[in-house]
Amino acid sequence: MFLLDYSYLIVQGFEMTLVMTFLGLGGGLVLGVLSALGDVYGGRALRALIGAYVEFFRGSPLIVQLLLFYFSVPTVTGVRWDAFTAGTVTLMLNSGAYQKGYFKGAIEAVFKDQLLAAKSLGMTFWQTLRHVVLPQAFRVVIPSWTNEYVSLGLSTSALIVIGLRELTTVSKSIAAQTFKPLQVYLLTGLIYLIWISASLKALDHVYSRVRIPGLEVSAEAS
Amino acid sequence: MSVLKCRDLRKSYGDLQVLRGIDFEIEKGETKVIIGPSGSGKSTFLRLMGLLEPPTGGKIFFEGRDVYTSGLDLNIIRAKIGFVFQEPSLFRHLTALDNVKIGLKCVLKVNNDEATERAMEALKAVRMEEWANYYPAQLSGGQQQRVGIARALAMDPDVILFDEPTASLDIELTWEVIDVMRDLAKRGITMLVVTHEIAFAKEVADEISFMDGGKILESGPPDQLLRSPKTPRARRFLTRLLGGI
Repeated sequence: MFLLDYSYLIVQGFEMTLVMTFLGLGGGLVLGVLSALGDVYGGRALRALIGAYVEFFRGSPLIVQLLLFYFSVPTVTGVRWDAFTAGTVTLMLNSGAYQKGYFKGAIEAVFKDQLLAAKSLGMTFWQTLRHVVLPQAFRVVIPSWTNEYVSLGLSTSALIVIGLRELTTVSKSIAAQTFKPLQVYLLTGLIYLIWISASLKALDHVYSRVRIPGLEVSAEAS
Repeated sequence: MSVLKCRDLRKSYGDLQVLRGIDFEIEKGETKVIIGPSGSGKSTFLRLMGLLEPPTGGKIFFEGRDVYTSGLDLNIIRAKIGFVFQEPSLFRHLTALDNVKIGLKCVLKVNNDEATERAMEALKAVRMEEWANYYPAQLSGGQQQRVGIARALAMDPDVILFDEPTASLDIELTWEVIDVMRDLAKRGITMLVVTHEIAFAKEVADEISFMDGGKILESGPPDQLLRSPKTPRARRFLTRLLGGI
């Protein structure tokens, strides 16, 4: 069991993978909700800006985005940043672009008649958003959001191109040192698999806890 | 003094003139009914009176004050004007009780216990107290509509506007909603109702107005307007509606 000698490295790498996934998803959630709101309720200039942002991050490979941010930001701004910061920012922006699409659909799924009803009660725009639109949008978005979790979680392996020591990067160096690529990469794949299926189970549980009759989603994905 | 009044109210969407100068008022305790063919502008008129859309001409007065020029906070007035929509438009993520409480808590800043108490009272008035913890999707159309009435009622508004509240319901469900509205009218709640339920109008209305082509063509007490309308268009409409009664 040569792998035991490297287990602490693998654990460290997996920890980094988790951290990057949650930072990317969390930041992407904030960016996604804000850009969805901007796209639905904003003016023309704001909508064009959001459109360009989403187009860029959904229309180019994550690896190219990582390389671009990690290597070109220091040369343009003169500020050096490490792989961790560059990777986090890129993942957030990338995930935000996808999450924007999911949230926009969910916000628009709250029917106009409810907005009019809120208005008739004297609720302000912000009260309506907070108490009527977002609580429904968050529930409707869960299945698509689950997909984003899986997709971003697995995509963190792209961080290998900027040398961040997450699970894939670590595995590659162990494989190189031990000359046992088959065992190392099989184990790595297994770790991703177990992690993702456990997460899916957990998210399913969350979904059933917050489910409301009549707000089920004909899960287009998931 | 009238609770709600309008003078020469006009509304256009682009080139389309939907309201062509309406004068109307309703006083405390009155029930007024508006009838008229579809496309006559009834719903638009009601939405304007509920301050849900701005007019393109004319004035609206709430308790004597011009709502669009006297610098009033429109949301404060909207809270005093109840509105019941044609489609039951409940908030789908909230139980019946929370649907009724949300306006009390968010807009009137009533504390949670008092909001619950007032909401339960309103649900009782529409005979829905046993369904307080059900979600909209678990209720029939008529039950949803009654919760919608409770939501408006709980705010203790000065007037409630009803936009064909039974138009999307079948006959049996229509009755349960109409029964509730009859109770409210008898309790002295000020109501402005667009409806084709003539029996209801006859029983509780202080005045019926006939609308066509974006104008009120005539108004009068139910007996007079239903039996001997003055305008040929109202006569033709009523003959069709009553089907030869």
